[in-house]
Amino acid sequence: MTDQPRFAHASEAELARILDYYGVRWQYEPRTFPILWNLDGAVVESFSPDFYLPELDLFIELTTLKQSLVRRKNRKLRRLRELYPDIRVKLFYGKDFKALMLKYGRFDIAASLSGLEGQALANSAVAPPPAELVAAATAGDGAAVPDAVPPAPVAALTSTSAAPRRPSRGTRRRRARRRAHQHETTMPVPRSAGGPRPTPALTELGGAGA
Amino acid sequence: MTDIARRPDLDADVADVLITEEQIHAKVRELGQQLGRDYAASELILVSVLKGSLPFMADLMRAIPIPVQVDLMEVSSYGGTSTETSGLVRILKDLSSSIAGKDVLIVEDIIDTGLTLNYLLRYLRGKNPRSLRICALLDKPARRLVEIPIDYLGFTIPDQFVVGYGLDYGEYYRNLPFIGVLRPEVYERS
Repeated sequence: MTDQPRFAHASEAELARILDYYGVRWQYEPRTFPILWNLDGAVVESFSPDFYLPELDLFIELTTLKQSLVRRKNRKLRRLRELYPDIRVKLFYGKDFKALMLKYGRFDIAASLSGLEGQALANSAVAPPPAELVAAATAGDGAAVPDAVPPAPVAALTSTSAAPRRPSRGTRRRRARRRAHQHETTMPVPRSAGGPRPTPALTELGGAGA
Repeated sequence: MTDIARRPDLDADVADVLITEEQIHAKVRELGQQLGRDYAASELILVSVLKGSLPFMADLMRAIPIPVQVDLMEVSSYGGTSTETSGLVRILKDLSSSIAGKDVLIVEDIIDTGLTLNYLLRYLRGKNPRSLRICALLDKPARRLVEIPIDYLGFTIPDQFVVGYGLDYGEYYRNLPFIGVLRPEVYERS
């Protein structure tokens, strides 16, 4: 059984329970992919898929938000696939997840998926992560571009019940946009011949597998 | 188990017939012939996963023109009962005989997320069959989480809530002879 991180959405916690039930190992937001840089080379936009299934080498992004936000996520996903063509990402829309919940008879959760109602995750299971994960997370963060990559994975893996709540995705997006505006001009860094930006721009953490 | 608020109406609750009885039977005959050719020199065991696969299994085994053995399994489903949202999937009914060294074909009604079948494949591989393949009547790839190699497939279907020919909603509708699309009002009012 995986130590439960602090999930951003109730649907994520439910998917984690489903994966645990069927014995599929998972990691929660273990990796952040920069997808937009400013002229100074600083990352101004990044994407952290919700789950990584190491045995299947598959990232899963759950989108249970309203349509306008889904469009933004679709754009980020397209960008991710352009920059990292070898990464396998499956986007699970709200209707997909709702159908899954209906299939499993989880009507309470299905009913909460019409908008942002599921956002407030009451008493989500939060267990201190194993020491090696904290160490790996810290090391990974230090090795990455500190100002450029959102701290989401580290916060997710190192949070405890006494720790401050991790900023919501909306807050992180707003912060990212502010950073972008501070640099006045943002533009994607041209791709090198080999594909995405060099690896040091990535934050890669040790996993919290089941 | 899903509780349905009222008694199901087999006619009124189905919005559309997605696959007719005739189409199912034609496909089953085709699959049976193909399996007969592919396993002509094999000791084939068909393993059906309860309960949804029962009609498909019953028709398929009679369409295979070679000797076969049949066995049944049942595994718990996430959310199947109020307690089935934690813990691990459980084998509710195991195989009744050994499959070691034999050719095994899992007969499934539908592959949706792939989670149950992924578990079953791992479980059955541990019993050392000579070969392990999958025959599914329906493939619904829209919600696939785990990619499963389907060796024999009947139909690929769109992302709709389907019932009939073994597929249920709240344990009902399994006895419909076709594959139909359930009206959303049925599951939305539950």
